Amino acid sequence: MQLSRAQKIGLFFIIPLLAYFLIFFIYPLYLLFSYAFTGNGGLTLANFAKMASDPLLRVSLINTFYYYAGSAALQFGIGFLLAVVLNAYSGRLKGFFKGALFVPLTVSPVVIGLMWIIIFNPTYGPVDYILKALGIAKYSINWLGSTNLAMPTIIIANGWEYIPFVFLIIFAGLQTIPKQLYEAAEVDGMSHFQTFRYITLPLIRPIMLVAFLLNSIGILQGFALVYEVTSGGPGYSTYILSYYIYQVGFSFFNFRYAAALSILFLIIVGVFVFLVLKFTSVEKYLGLSDHEQV
Amino acid sequence: MNRFNLLLLVVLLIATAIALFPIYWMVITSLKVSSEIFSYPPVFIPLKITLNNYYAQGTYYGALSQTAVGSIPWVINSFIASIGASAIGTILIGAPAAYGLVRYIRNIWLSRLILFMMMIPESAFMLPYFLMISKAGWINTWWGLIAVYLSLTAPMSTWLLMGFFNDLPKSVEEAAQIDGLSTFNIFARISMPMAAPGIAVAFMINFMNIWNEMLYALVLTYSPFPSGAQTAPLFLTGFIVIEKSFAWGGLAAAGTFVLIPSLIVGLVAEKYLVKGWTLGAVKG
Amino acid sequence: MSEVVLENLTKKFGSFVAIDNISLRIEPHEFFVLLGPSGSGKSTLLRLIAGLEQPTSGLIYIDGKVVNSLPPKERDIAMVFQNYALYPHFTVYDNIALPLKVRGQSKSQIDAKVRDVASMLHIEDLLQKKPGQLSGGQQQRVALARALVRDPKLFLLDEPLSNLDAKLRVEARAFLKELQERLGVTTIYVTHDQSEAMSMATRIAVLNKGKVMQIADPFSIYRRPANMFTAGFIGSPSMNFIEGALKKDGEWSFVAGGLRVELPGLSFSSERRAIMGFRPEHIRIADEGIEATVSLVEPMGSIIYLHLNLGGFEVIAQHAGERKIKEGDKVKVRLDPESLLFYDAESGDLVS
Repeated sequence: MQLSRAQKIGLFFIIPLLAYFLIFFIYPLYLLFSYAFTGNGGLTLANFAKMASDPLLRVSLINTFYYYAGSAALQFGIGFLLAVVLNAYSGRLKGFFKGALFVPLTVSPVVIGLMWIIIFNPTYGPVDYILKALGIAKYSINWLGSTNLAMPTIIIANGWEYIPFVFLIIFAGLQTIPKQLYEAAEVDGMSHFQTFRYITLPLIRPIMLVAFLLNSIGILQGFALVYEVTSGGPGYSTYILSYYIYQVGFSFFNFRYAAALSILFLIIVGVFVFLVLKFTSVEKYLGLSDHEQV
Repeated sequence: MNRFNLLLLVVLLIATAIALFPIYWMVITSLKVSSEIFSYPPVFIPLKITLNNYYAQGTYYGALSQTAVGSIPWVINSFIASIGASAIGTILIGAPAAYGLVRYIRNIWLSRLILFMMMIPESAFMLPYFLMISKAGWINTWWGLIAVYLSLTAPMSTWLLMGFFNDLPKSVEEAAQIDGLSTFNIFARISMPMAAPGIAVAFMINFMNIWNEMLYALVLTYSPFPSGAQTAPLFLTGFIVIEKSFAWGGLAAAGTFVLIPSLIVGLVAEKYLVKGWTLGAVKG
Repeated sequence: MSEVVLENLTKKFGSFVAIDNISLRIEPHEFFVLLGPSGSGKSTLLRLIAGLEQPTSGLIYIDGKVVNSLPPKERDIAMVFQNYALYPHFTVYDNIALPLKVRGQSKSQIDAKVRDVASMLHIEDLLQKKPGQLSGGQQQRVALARALVRDPKLFLLDEPLSNLDAKLRVEARAFLKELQERLGVTTIYVTHDQSEAMSMATRIAVLNKGKVMQIADPFSIYRRPANMFTAGFIGSPSMNFIEGALKKDGEWSFVAGGLRVELPGLSFSSERRAIMGFRPEHIRIADEGIEATVSLVEPMGSIIYLHLNLGGFEVIAQHAGERKIKEGDKVKVRLDPESLLFYDAESGDLVS
């Protein structure tokens, strides 16, 4: 292939990135495959065959789905709602609310884990005390020690950090809608609900898609909270795939199986991203189609 | 209308209370004396305030308790890893790559590639990175950690700065071309300074991401400064997960300590962060 | 002071032909204006001469030397951009000094030249400011200073006045023209604004769709546009056109529908279908002449534009306004045969 002068200059600028990409993205993929597909001195599919009869993997996958679906619903639902509420609110505190609701995003998941351990402690934690004082709970609740409640508690902790992410993105999107459109709608005699349905929603759809995609990827990245707060327990009730890969690799030191599980994880994330890109126009809003021109 | 606004205000006040309460609780826990930390009913407004949790090491049920000062060897490593990976990823890799992509190679597949680099889950790559860094003999070193952290900072900076360089007027670079600057000098002396706000934003976003990162540090490091490269989040998990420590006062003090840098950077960069996080889809 | 020659110059962007086989010659000391609507290729042509774009084919000569393969910095040219393209992070002084610094001139030499050009453009007080602190007119002067400080062989300006407000634009026009005459540097100036072209140019090249439609001095361009495009593009309101035929019946005349214009004293090579053009100021209300109905009156202050129905054709006449005319009036008009222009109906070229 003959490179134009411009492309040659461009290449010079992207060489550091390309070199890094080869060493830290292509080579790791090669390592994953070479570990996952070998064993007993030859090529083998044993590491993948093992998945079918691995009860822990089954549990991890179910938990990952539970964790993802619960987190996505919570974060997107509340984040969206708060954005709409703040956008509709008019008052001097608007800027303060935006700043205050942003704060959780700056907190490290490890620090959130620490907060949760303290706050949700059934004996000394304030959450139980408040629930009892309000008459919602009669007895102390063992949030992190119960197989039914541990995952919801993790989901809430994760939600506390990332609801602001969805909120901020959608709020920024709402702010970009020109005021004249609302004025025109008012002149045209639209009700509040109609304005929301026919003007606001269609205009922020692209940004909602972007928020959904990036938020989903963020949720799937989750590891620190589970590692720190529940260590997968109690029982295996908070085993999620990322935690399971860590256990297989760095507690059981079964690198080959861990590599196979990593590939499985990459496939799951890859299929998810592919489906989102395929069935929505989110790529366009990420500015990808802009670069095609000229 | 006014009653409606009041309803909104109430919703926002509740949301803000929930958003700030855990931080408030951690901070007051770090300032409480032990008897107020472990009391029922819980103490919402401490009567006695102490800074002991920040610097005075004591014993707690026979084990040494933690303090914020005790986390300093980990915090030093966090600063080095965060600043190193952010600076190299932004200035040496991201900025030139973004410039080359925007000004010379307009290729959608390269842009997609960068997007996909950002979507790879850390847990899927922790094993190969561990193997690679072990083989290089860089386990528990700054270099090992920074090399792997570039996988987070370089694509993010590239993507973010593509947007910034794209928004710079091309004619300024053409004027420099006519004035006689070389291609590299146009980049280094004209375009980079013009993109300085973008570079600062990319740096801050990366700093926060790395400061808060735990998984790679967990598998790549095992001891604090000066013997190793273990970072601040692992100070906390070390005592919580491995030692099952209940010395909440000291842990909360250390947690507050770890929170401050990312909180400051986050609040400074707040209005640009949305643009960064949405990869330019929302113009901040 | 240099001349520029373009020989069969073509520039394609993919399959789009931006510059279509242009050949022309720009004389030393000339103020040469490239005028055309957007998309006509005028900016591309300037960028080809600057070296910011590479031609697909054809040659560019500066002072008799082919410069196709030379990068911009070796062509000894200076350029002023539409948005001024000042370096926002440098002071005005450093903006002006940069082209000299890059060329390795000594500090004292640079300082003398910067102060010299700054006083010429009356921006001495601004030297320590950053571009962001300047008004549009001041930025424009700084951009000029940066271009002039090098004593370039060739001075290229790409719509330099279009970001100024109307009053400043008129001032800058006079200033630029006076400056160019004083310095005598060969100047190529791109604009879509015909009043800029008319007021400053020694010669104008009218461009359309990558082709040169006409090259001539401003007066000829206005009075004798060589083709329909130039005729329609130059002048505001635009020239009136009536499609019909040139007929010889003893004397020559122009016939279109019910309209017949006698052309005493004119002669043409052959009868043909043609388009008659005349400017609004060349149609006069008179006591005798062709019947017309006033369909709209547009007062413009010192003059009035009358929209007339002339034998079924809509035309615009410029009226001095000494006689009150209102919509619906019937008037008589005269066309001065001397000022009438005829274009071939097929080729669109001027018939002489």
